Amino acid sequence: MTVRSSSQHSLRRGGRQLLALAGTTVIESIQQPAALLMLLTAVVTTLLVPVFQFHRFGEDGRLARDSGLSCMLIFGMALAVSSAGHAVAGELTRGTAAAVLGKPVARPLFLLAKWVGVLGVVTLFWCAQLAATLLAERISAHFLIRGDTAGYASDPITLLLALTGLAVALFIAAARHAVLRRRFGVSAFLGIPISQGIVVLISGFYNRFGQLYPLYGEAACEGCGSAHTHETAQVWLYHAELNLRVIPAALLLLFVLAVFAALAVALATRLPTGSVLTVCAMTLLLGLAGDALFANAARFSARGLLAGVLPDLQHFWLCDRIARGGSVPGRYVAEAGLYALTCCALFLTAGSVAFRNRDLG
Amino acid sequence: METRQVIETRGVRKTFRDFWRRPVVEAVKDLNLSVARGEVFGLLGPNGSGKSTTLKMLLGLLRPTAGTIRVLDAPPQALQARARIGYLPEISHLHPFLTPRETLRYYASLFGLGRRETERRTEELLEMVDLTQAADRAVGRFSKGMARRVGLAQALMNAPELLILDEPTSGLDPLGARAVKDLVRTLAGAGVTVLMTSHLLADVEDVCDRVAILDCGALCAEGRTDDLLRQPDAVRFEIEGMDDAAAREARSALETRFGRPVRQSYPSLTLERYFLQVVADGRTSDAFRLAPFLLGPQPDPEPSGGAPCATA
Repeated sequence: MTVRSSSQHSLRRGGRQLLALAGTTVIESIQQPAALLMLLTAVVTTLLVPVFQFHRFGEDGRLARDSGLSCMLIFGMALAVSSAGHAVAGELTRGTAAAVLGKPVARPLFLLAKWVGVLGVVTLFWCAQLAATLLAERISAHFLIRGDTAGYASDPITLLLALTGLAVALFIAAARHAVLRRRFGVSAFLGIPISQGIVVLISGFYNRFGQLYPLYGEAACEGCGSAHTHETAQVWLYHAELNLRVIPAALLLLFVLAVFAALAVALATRLPTGSVLTVCAMTLLLGLAGDALFANAARFSARGLLAGVLPDLQHFWLCDRIARGGSVPGRYVAEAGLYALTCCALFLTAGSVAFRNRDLG
Repeated sequence: METRQVIETRGVRKTFRDFWRRPVVEAVKDLNLSVARGEVFGLLGPNGSGKSTTLKMLLGLLRPTAGTIRVLDAPPQALQARARIGYLPEISHLHPFLTPRETLRYYASLFGLGRRETERRTEELLEMVDLTQAADRAVGRFSKGMARRVGLAQALMNAPELLILDEPTSGLDPLGARAVKDLVRTLAGAGVTVLMTSHLLADVEDVCDRVAILDCGALCAEGRTDDLLRQPDAVRFEIEGMDDAAAREARSALETRFGRPVRQSYPSLTLERYFLQVVADGRTSDAFRLAPFLLGPQPDPEPSGGAPCATA
């Protein structure tokens, strides 16, 4: 009985420590000007790609989508690495980690909490970037036939709303800072995904020519096969003119970012942030080129070893499949998630081993 | 059964190595120390003498190259021992974007304290270190002295049995330093064992029962402060209300009686006491009023509890 209550107490204490450390990591990371800058750059770049693309060939939407997902991967990785560097390598240098580990905090739990915190930051970024990517595809020019005219039509209203949303989020953050003394960085970093999410929701109530859809209409009666004599229900109509097939593809990229967060946290126990960024960038390049580089590699060779150690990132990049009109099945997403989780566990275990005997000065 | 010794080190050495594992510096050499329960123990030494390295080994932050360390009857890496230790680092190492209130709540979470207990201790500690008015400002904008107060408050969050203070008065003005020294004595009176380092010898002399002096990583002297400072071959008398003529007469009588020269001087205040008399005249509020939860066993309304409290 005593053993059970003691283990319950330890578990509860571990849970509280995990939440406290992860929460502080999120606040400290998103309060960094570089984090907000990366988020803003990625979102604004994604939203403006449809405006500044010149080679169309009818694939404006694809270009916007691919750019958005690329920004998600590259900026997300940079954000994960800088957050991990700040949260682990930075705290080790500044001595904050020593102050924490002088308390009853186990080192593996410290690393796990740092990863959870960095993952929280990356997930916030991912939400904003996903919304921006969905909006960018809608903003880009589509070939439409309307009455007796046909041609490309873009969606400037959505672009305007998305950019206004960004400005409003920053303004509210500034106002909260000035009036309520709330942290500007935190408010802005949270406000941007919220603002883009709201624009995504609003975009379902009008078409790309700015005409509002009726809010209520008759429900479609499918499979009836005969002229309607029965009463049809009035339902709330929402026109999601967004390519929702992007969401599972983006989810795969979130898994990649989780893997990079784990790798960066593990490396940051021994390396400074610059070196962590270099190793992660190399891993990204090799992971994306893995199919070509390690094809037919013998299992017991240097190439075979690299192929085994490096995460195969091609499994997570399914933009081409979406471009061909396909979608990503749920089972595939689940298996990719499991693969990513295994990679994360491996990297964090390696990080814990490297951190176990590290002197904290 | 717990022993009387709270800290015990035997033959402890610490050698720092470079990336290639080559020895760079031997920071601590064959250190043997014992600190008993309820003692205030001072670790003295010049810069680079190994004081902070020793403290970090006691906290499990550095691993000794050789030797054994026991803290509260456990190895320093043991979490259950660390739950009973309060630690104030040399530099307070606070998260700059957190406020003092958030900082204290954060450290309370690390000790696994429940919400109500956290709130109670946070408010009491903020009041104790006189930071209630500044409790919602970011710590990053604090002066060194204010940051030190936050650091001291976080070190006491778990009502520690052993308090390790690395340069506790560093960055504090004389009033703050006096308050910290009074606090150390009050805590010692409540049964807390205190281990502190300082460059300021007067601080150590004021509060420590025993001291050890380190130089180049080696223990040079150790003992009770009074014993170490006593000059056994000289005696000083102090007589109040004696005028100059009477003093000269007494001196002459003593010289005649013992056949040795007798030095005559007038007792003077230390500069610190004089400063406190001039500046702090009537400012009794500068002393830290000990947080009530530090004074004795507290009813813990939540089963999750926390670290054990010090007993009065």
